[in-house]
Amino acid sequence: MIGFKDVTRIYDNMTALRKVNFGIGKGEFVYITGPSGAGKSTLLKLIYLAEKPDEGTISIAGWETDTLRESAIPYLRRNIGVVFQDFKLLVNRTVYDNIALALRIRGFGETEIKGRVQDALKLVGLRHKNDNFPAALSGGEQQRITIARAIVGEPTVLLADEPTGNLDVDNAAGIMKIFKEINAKGTTILIATHNRELFRNTGLRVLWFDNGNLVADKEG
Amino acid sequence: MIYSIKLALKSLWFEKWIHMLTVVTIGVGLFVLGLIFFSLYNIEGITSRLPERFSVTVFLSAGTGNREINQLRVRLREDPIVKRIKYISKEAALVELRTSLKDAAYILEGLDENPLLPSIEIRLKENGFDKKKVEGLINRLKSLRDVDDVVYGENLLGTIYTIRNAVKTISAGVILLFSMAIIFVCYSTVKILFYRRKEEIEIFKLLGATKGFIRLPFLIEGGTLGFLGGLLGGAGTYVLYRFINGTVISDFPILGVMHMPLGLVAALPAGGAILGIIGSTIALGRLKF
Repeated sequence: MIGFKDVTRIYDNMTALRKVNFGIGKGEFVYITGPSGAGKSTLLKLIYLAEKPDEGTISIAGWETDTLRESAIPYLRRNIGVVFQDFKLLVNRTVYDNIALALRIRGFGETEIKGRVQDALKLVGLRHKNDNFPAALSGGEQQRITIARAIVGEPTVLLADEPTGNLDVDNAAGIMKIFKEINAKGTTILIATHNRELFRNTGLRVLWFDNGNLVADKEG
Repeated sequence: MIYSIKLALKSLWFEKWIHMLTVVTIGVGLFVLGLIFFSLYNIEGITSRLPERFSVTVFLSAGTGNREINQLRVRLREDPIVKRIKYISKEAALVELRTSLKDAAYILEGLDENPLLPSIEIRLKENGFDKKKVEGLINRLKSLRDVDDVVYGENLLGTIYTIRNAVKTISAGVILLFSMAIIFVCYSTVKILFYRRKEEIEIFKLLGATKGFIRLPFLIEGGTLGFLGGLLGGAGTYVLYRFINGTVISDFPILGVMHMPLGLVAALPAGGAILGIIGSTIALGRLKF
C-alpha cells in the first residue's frame, strides 16, 4: 500500500529524513514515533504529497511519486484521509459543510453527501453538532470532526499527525477507539505521535525515527 | 458547478465592500465604453445617410450631341457605385437657376443666349460612398471627351472621412485602454480575494481539489462582477440618453438625430462579464497554487 525507497528530504541544510526504506501493507495499523524533529510530520507530508522527496521514490496505492504528474496529485489525495495536527477546519463553515467539503470536491451529489456525512458524524459521535461552527466545539470535538472529514470519502489510507496531542486522556482514548473501528473496516492507518502510551502493549507495528533516520521497525 | 456558484455567491456577499468598489469602477469604465459605442453608432448612422444628400454633377461640353449624352447616361448607369442619374438640359438648368434666384432673377434678363451647360447629376449608392471609389469615378469622368467639368463636395467628403476615421481611431484606442483597465480591476480584485482565501484554498488542495475546482468560483466571481458593472454602466448610458433626449434636446435640436440601440445597453453586461472572466483567468494563471 505504501512504500518508501531510499527517501531523503532536506530542508535548507537540515536533513529531515535520510535514506528511509519501509513498506506498509493494506489494512495495517502503524505508529510512527520519535522525538520532536525526528521527521514524523515530514514523513506524513511526503505521503500526502504536500512535499516531494529530494531523493528516492514513494509509492502509494499504486502511484509512484517520481512519475506522478502535478495534475494527478488531487486524485491521489482523494485516496488519503488526513487528520491534521492543527485540524485545518474552515472556521466560517458549519460542521456539516466542513465534512461535506471532502465529498463536494469529489463531485458527489447532495443526497449522497448528506447520508455519508451523517454516517461519519455517527462514527465520531457528533451527529448532534451538525450545524455548529468549529469555534463552538471543544478541542476533542474538533479533532473528531477532522477525523470524520478524513474518512467520509472512504480513503484507502488514513494519516493522523499527533491526533491526541492536545487532548485529555479520556478524549484521546475515544479518538483511538475511532481509529481502531476505521481500521477494522480495512483502512490502512498511520499515526504519527510522540506519545508512547498510545501504542504500548498494543502489539501494533511502530516505526521509530530519530534525527531523520528510521532506527527501528518493531511491535509496540 | 452548483457548489462553485454557491461559493462565488457567498464570497460576493462576505466581501461585499471590495466587490461594490469593483462593480462601481467597472461600471464607470463600461459607462465610458457605452458612450463611445453610442457615439460611434450615431456617427456611423449619420455618415451612412450622407450618400442620399451627396451628389456629383457632370457638366457636359457645349455642343455635346444627344447620341453622346445617351452613351454617357448608359455608361453611368452601369457604373457599380452609381445609384441613379438625372440629365439636366441647359434649358432646364436655366429654369432652375431662375427659380433659385427668386426676386433676383432679373439679372438674367439681358442674356441673349443660354450660357449654361447641360449636366448630369449623379446620386451614389451607399456602398459607393467611399473616398477612393468616388475619386475613381471622378477621374474616369474627367477623362471623357464630352465632359467639361465635374463638381462634387470634395471638401465635404474629405472632412467627413477625416472626422470619421479620427473618431474611429481614437475610439479604438479608448476602448482598448478602458477594456484593459476593466480587466486589470478584475485581475486585482480576484488576486486580493485569492490571497484572502489562501488558507481555505490550501485546505481545498489537501482534500484533493483540482485546480479547476479551485479556480471556478473565482471565474464566476469575476464574471459576475463584470456583469454587474455592465448593468451599472448600461443603466448609466441609458439614463444619460434619456436625459439628452428629454431635456437637452429642446436647447440643441440637432441632437434629435441621435438614437440609442437597446442592443448596446444589453451588450454592456455581457461585455463586462467577458472582461471580468478574462481578468480572473489572467490572475489565476499568474497565481502559484
